[in-house]
Amino acid sequence: MMPRSLSANVIFGLAPIVLVIALWQGLVSFGFAPVVLLPPPGVVFGRLLKQLVTWTFQQEIAATLIRLFAGFAIAVVLGVSIGIAAAASPAINAIVRPIVRVLAPLPKVALYPALLLLLGFGHGSKITLVAADALFPILLSTYYGASTVEQKLIWSAMAAGTRRYEILFKVVLPAAMPSILTGCRIGLVICCIVVFLAEMITSTDGLGHVLVTAARTFQAVDMFVPLIAISLLGLILNGLLGAVRSYLLRGFPEA
Amino acid sequence: MTSPSALARRAAPMFACIGLLAVWQVASLALKNDSFPTAIEAIRAIPDILGDKESLINILASLRRMAIGFGIAVLVSIPLGLLMGRSRAVAAFFNPLLMVIYPVPKAALMPIIMLWLGVGDITKTLVIFLGVSLPVIYHSFEGAKAVEEKMLWSGAAMGLSPLQRLVRIVLPAALPEILTGCRTGLVLALITMITSEMIARQSGAGNILFNALDMGQYDTVYAMIIIVGAMGICLDAVFERVRARLVRWSEPQFDMPLSFS
Repeated sequence: MMPRSLSANVIFGLAPIVLVIALWQGLVSFGFAPVVLLPPPGVVFGRLLKQLVTWTFQQEIAATLIRLFAGFAIAVVLGVSIGIAAAASPAINAIVRPIVRVLAPLPKVALYPALLLLLGFGHGSKITLVAADALFPILLSTYYGASTVEQKLIWSAMAAGTRRYEILFKVVLPAAMPSILTGCRIGLVICCIVVFLAEMITSTDGLGHVLVTAARTFQAVDMFVPLIAISLLGLILNGLLGAVRSYLLRGFPEA
Repeated sequence: MTSPSALARRAAPMFACIGLLAVWQVASLALKNDSFPTAIEAIRAIPDILGDKESLINILASLRRMAIGFGIAVLVSIPLGLLMGRSRAVAAFFNPLLMVIYPVPKAALMPIIMLWLGVGDITKTLVIFLGVSLPVIYHSFEGAKAVEEKMLWSGAAMGLSPLQRLVRIVLPAALPEILTGCRTGLVLALITMITSEMIARQSGAGNILFNALDMGQYDTVYAMIIIVGAMGICLDAVFERVRARLVRWSEPQFDMPLSFS
């Protein structure tokens, strides 16, 4: 029963994607949109496949991925540790909370010019921007998860003689894990978006740069290729994170 | 109400602002870098920008595009999200499509949409619309999914039609979650607005920011950053007020906003 309904759902869910592609093809083949502006989907996917095996395109993807992972890793480490610290200690909470309130709604992209001036045009400024953007969702959901840990669990651990800092690792962190992973998921999507934008604004490599170069030369086909590439990249990374999630949360009631 | 501790809590963000500006001031004094003016220099440049008629019109035009894009997105996304939350079929239909669209940076669609619709207001508003709608759809979906079945059953038993149930039971019950989505969407609208304007360098706040960067007017760059940041914080604070009024009955789930890009 379960697998059958699942596969039915998959087919049902694929329908709108197929519809969009069919509509796209229809717009082109019935001449509503000139091929120069809207290349047919077959051409775009063909170009994507051809590009994927070339060394230069792989290097662009690698450049994007390095920045994405570096930024994401920094955001996870900082976000989780600050979030747990703020939930555990009222003193840290009093300092962190107002700063987060001010910094979280601030559009980080606006900081990019400042980062460019301070850190240069290389990896540094882009990784910092990615990390800054992904940090807050991870921090907030960690804080939320850690501050809603059931007090009884902590009391039991203390009664069993666990030391204070051990409680953080043995009780609070695992209990907050589902919430942390939700934050990581949001952060990961943000990383994909921000790294692409940063590369579009100023860069010499990466997928965003490919898009901008194509736009400057009006190569519509090449403009679609990096967009589809980043969408696929996001899906793959999301799937990987889902796998990590179901591994880490094995044994949780509803993982 | 206005006990000293409550007062301190309310003033805390203000202190945080001052503290951050102070850190900036000290850092720039320590670095002595030409391209990193002190906080005071940057703040001094703000009146020049806001006093200049042309840049003021530019910034207001940006805000108008943002308001229109945000408004349309909210109007479209909330019903869609609620429907997805209440009907398994609708959810199964739209979820994969949304998952494919999610990691695509909406502002990256600018160059393509520009080819079709030109560099005008429509393109930028459309991009803002796309950027805002996803989180709002997602949160409305989650909110509607969590509505208690019993309330719907009671409503049905009292003879409410499905549409009435959606408007009178699901919408209010999901409102706290919807508003969380709208808050995320608001921050996102601001971000998309800035990015769309720096990709299509024609007008608006993002254009002023990046033109100043290209021309090496560093104090203008930092002044614009302060202006944009202040816009984000003010919009967020105003929205928080509205939210607190609308859903007075529910405890805020996240009293700190979730930012998105």
